[in-house]
Amino acid sequence: MKIDLKNLTIIKAHDHLVKGDFTAVELAMEYINEIKSKNADINAYLEVFGDALESAGEADKKIADAKARAKSGNGSLGVEVPLLTGIPCGIKDNILIKGHIASASSKMLEDYHATYDATVISKLKTEGVVFLGRTNMDEFAMGGSTENSAFGPTRNPHDTSRVAGGSSGGSAAAVAMDGALFTLGSDTGGSIRQPASFCGVVGLKPTYGAVSRYGVMAMGSSLDQIGPIGKTVTDCEIVFNAIRGQDQKDGTTISPDTYKKSSKSSKASSVEDSGKRPVIGVPRHFLGGDGIDPAVLKVFNDSLESLKKKGYEIRDIVLPNISYSLMVYYIVMPAEVSANMARFDGVRFGLHKDGKNGIEDYFESRRAGLGREVVRRILLGTYVLSSGYYDAYYNRANAVRRMITEDFNKAFESVDVIATPTAPSPAFKVGEKTNDPVAMYLEDIFTVTANLTGMPALSVPCGMATKDASKDADVSGGRKADLPVGLQLTARHADEATLFRVGKELLGEL
Amino acid sequence: MVIETVFYATIFSMVTIKELEHLATLARIKLTEEDKASLVKEFDSILSYVDQLKKVDVDIEGSARVGAVKNAVRDDAAMQTSAEDRERLLDEAPDREGDFVAVKKIIAQDIKI
Repeated sequence: MKIDLKNLTIIKAHDHLVKGDFTAVELAMEYINEIKSKNADINAYLEVFGDALESAGEADKKIADAKARAKSGNGSLGVEVPLLTGIPCGIKDNILIKGHIASASSKMLEDYHATYDATVISKLKTEGVVFLGRTNMDEFAMGGSTENSAFGPTRNPHDTSRVAGGSSGGSAAAVAMDGALFTLGSDTGGSIRQPASFCGVVGLKPTYGAVSRYGVMAMGSSLDQIGPIGKTVTDCEIVFNAIRGQDQKDGTTISPDTYKKSSKSSKASSVEDSGKRPVIGVPRHFLGGDGIDPAVLKVFNDSLESLKKKGYEIRDIVLPNISYSLMVYYIVMPAEVSANMARFDGVRFGLHKDGKNGIEDYFESRRAGLGREVVRRILLGTYVLSSGYYDAYYNRANAVRRMITEDFNKAFESVDVIATPTAPSPAFKVGEKTNDPVAMYLEDIFTVTANLTGMPALSVPCGMATKDASKDADVSGGRKADLPVGLQLTARHADEATLFRVGKELLGEL
Repeated sequence: MVIETVFYATIFSMVTIKELEHLATLARIKLTEEDKASLVKEFDSILSYVDQLKKVDVDIEGSARVGAVKNAVRDDAAMQTSAEDRERLLDEAPDREGDFVAVKKIIAQDIKI
């Protein structure tokens, strides 16, 4: 049968694979052809793996074996074939797949071959997922537009003059251009959710510690999480369930019990048991600034209105310290970056440039291997951690971070989920913000809070913002541009279930 | 007034070139003169933004913590690595001698101990 990639979901593909309407090899081939025709313009993929069809063949064998077992009466077919067997995906280039290059879109690791599988990759391999290739990103995940890639920017499939967002821009664009059924990204301050918003797809930043980070390149260790990007909330839920779980190899892993006690003690937590609709909180006081595009706000308000019509209660909430979030983030994150990036020394792996002596080797290797934004953040982190500034910056930021977390915990006593736009604007033009670091940093204003608090957050496409030449300077030649807008939902620690429920309502998946 | 403000910003940057050079030395990053000039400006714009935190009334004592996460540590014991894995790891080193990662001599010859 002809494969309709545009309307394909994981469950649909799974049903077709099990029924034998098409094989995993045919499905992978279809995606690879799509990538071949679109990637020159979009640059979502850095590489399509030569062994993708081979692993699709192995998935076909698994499905055939399960069918044979079902025929002989040993177990039902649906139980035997995992949902993700034969499902093609793309992986952000900072997640290790043994034997494949993992460059983090940096010259530093251009020729680095991963020596082991990340835990998320082992889990997906067990499911029989087909890895199509590695996706483009801002260098070492530092950026909000994928323009910091050493291998060229990723462009937005909705308008190639615009960015795909970042840092997981390649992963979001790959899904949006039908170049994968799902992808993995990493999110330190919004790097899954903001590109998902820009590209009109769904992205989840799970609870801190819910998904193992073993085998993902660390950026901000108290902030980083791996998560899925997909076309539907259900697809993201399926992938999240496949990659989550406690892992001995992750120093900040959580167990199923970590948040059990605290969620029982909170008043409004019985949503799931009672079958009641989750109450949605909106921090209106934070959405009024001039930094937010009116077109985004309109789409956001329309979505809330539609939820209200479906019987959801929308409640105004106040998060007194939320306006400090981005400042806290831009102290804590570079501090952690400066520590994590110290490993790139040109000695054990990665790029090496010769200097006059051993210490000069470090200077030369790091100079040649690391891009501007990475250098900027390392130096900024070195500054805020240096003696004399440590209390004023790093300790103060951590204290305010605790206040922000308390604000959220308090808000979650009266609401179940908090809604904001995912990003203050739709996708901006390539090159528009590259010379203004603070303007680029402001992209993260609504997303960093979930990383600071460790709470889970989901971006769901909720409509299109129309930009036209008459009122928007960035639309040229009388053209109109319809650009996706994402709505972000944040929930209590370990309460991804409520995110999925409201997200599915928004996308009509219930 | 406006002139004074501009003057102030130009002369008293939040980070001097000298400080920046010191940070770059600590971080083992080589900077060109051009890098330094633009970084001083970028630091100013970033630091004046995050400096708004200074007005928050908060007790800075206490440790950083994310949610209810506790550090998960393993036993401090040696773990076996297969010969194949060891080979893969060593293969990624820019320079090796046998089973060692090779680096330049660290102690100079003209230093007498």
